[in-house]
Amino acid sequence: MNGFLAIYRREVLGLWVTPLAWVLLTVFLVLQGAIFYSIITHFASMADVSVDTGPVQAYFGQESIFLLMTLLLVCPALSMRVFAEERRSGTIESLLTAPVTPASVVLGKYAALLTTYALIWLPTLLYVVILRKTGVVDWGVVGSSYLGLLGIGAAYLSLGTLMSAMTKSQLVALLLTIFLEFGLFILGVGEYIFDPGLFRDLCAHVSMMGQMEDFSKGILDLRRIVFDGTVTALGLFVTTRVVDSWRWG
Amino acid sequence: MIEVSNLTKDYGTVVAVRDLSFSVGKGEIVGFLGPNGAGKSTTLRVLAGFLGATSGRVRIAGHDIAEAPLAARRALGYMPESAPLYPELRVVEYLQFRARLKEVPRAKQSAAIGSAMERAGVGHMAGTVIGHLSKGYRQRVALADALVSDPPLLILDEPTAGLDPNQIREVRALIKGLGGDRTVLLSTHILSEVEATCERALVIDRGRLVAEGTIEELRARQHSSTLSVRVRDPNASAEATIGRISGLNLQSVNADPGSADRRTLLITLNEGLEPETAIETLVRALTEAGIGIHALIPEQASLEQIFSELTAHEKMATGAAEPGADS
Repeated sequence: MNGFLAIYRREVLGLWVTPLAWVLLTVFLVLQGAIFYSIITHFASMADVSVDTGPVQAYFGQESIFLLMTLLLVCPALSMRVFAEERRSGTIESLLTAPVTPASVVLGKYAALLTTYALIWLPTLLYVVILRKTGVVDWGVVGSSYLGLLGIGAAYLSLGTLMSAMTKSQLVALLLTIFLEFGLFILGVGEYIFDPGLFRDLCAHVSMMGQMEDFSKGILDLRRIVFDGTVTALGLFVTTRVVDSWRWG
Repeated sequence: MIEVSNLTKDYGTVVAVRDLSFSVGKGEIVGFLGPNGAGKSTTLRVLAGFLGATSGRVRIAGHDIAEAPLAARRALGYMPESAPLYPELRVVEYLQFRARLKEVPRAKQSAAIGSAMERAGVGHMAGTVIGHLSKGYRQRVALADALVSDPPLLILDEPTAGLDPNQIREVRALIKGLGGDRTVLLSTHILSEVEATCERALVIDRGRLVAEGTIEELRARQHSSTLSVRVRDPNASAEATIGRISGLNLQSVNADPGSADRRTLLITLNEGLEPETAIETLVRALTEAGIGIHALIPEQASLEQIFSELTAHEKMATGAAEPGADS
């Protein structure tokens, strides 16, 4: 893994010394805060709450459509520049002439994106801490919910990395990624539209909302994890091949 | 240090480098010379491992770049054309990243970065954000990057492009000063650069090697030389006298503005004619014709002339062979 750590560190530094990560963090937290606030006020006005539908489950589970919409905005914006910018400015030339393998370049950059994604989510732990002041929080559910979000983020960022490697334009990378991830999201919505059958099962299987609903109930479905892992691995593998192919351009 | 044999690189239908072979020995400073678009950058990118060769072999410090790419890249410091850098980082942060990437041992990193910045003349800019630097300083940061792992081989693509004359002088002095057993291959389209820094030059045109050798050897290849003669010619018989000597061609006659009978003659020598013999014959003939010689200056063809001659000849040759060679 020649250079993995060096690339990872530079990439994290590069993300946080430019406004991009901070802008995304701000937008993300404003949106999440609004979603969380409306969920809390909704629950506060309810007379009677059953055991397995607390605000935490609602935030990560039933109402996860809001949360996923913000991810459709944040993930593509986070990953759009990762290769496109290097190729546009020509820094890819000094990067790839260092003694590094394409795999470590791709993994180093991707790990930095995933770390930044996790850091953006980190402040939302405060919501749970706040809830704990007034009620009981099931930490297992919180843990599995964040695991679900990490899985979705990992898959989205992997696809975004691939799209960024396909073009020198950040804007094109952004649009391609949104298109792809929105397509994946809509496919999941198909679960509620189609008649029972193979296609509906497929839709249910790839559904991000379904994943969050399961994980927010503390159900760690291995199929979901395998799906996220497959999308991530496939995206990164193809990206590595794309990076390798630039030598023959 | 560098061995290139039968290197060919094409971009789809465009052949950028054709059947190029050359070698650079340890400790040499070699200029890679050619007009814009001759294939210099492409060749250097192949050597640096950024582009793959279509065919042919390249060995860097004994490592085949196709079989042992990492070992080959470890042995070289490469400075790409136009010095691309990350604008958001500080100079020292960038060099730290590059030192880690190039596997400089942790204990030696800060010393290596310090000495690279010192040599490239950016020591006082360590804390400056790269995006705020001028073109000249960015170029030097890229040079420091190439030096940071203290590689035995440096490949510099137009290291002085975009610099002001003072900076150019500094960079040239730096390259010459690297010396020792370090090998340097630098590309340029400016001939005086080769003259100032390099021991040997490779001239490339349209992806082919058209000449190779020391500056003196290249000079010796000149196809014609010129004599400038200032004379007092009261009878205006110089033209006729020179016309009688075989091998000499009168290029131009300029009357001195001050006096009517003083003129400057520009004479070119035919190929193959020894300049010494030509001068002897010329002086004797002029004196016999009663023409007073005030000055006789053999004009050495400049590298620019040699260069344009070399590349022009190549153009004629390939121009004839083009349809067959390209299809």
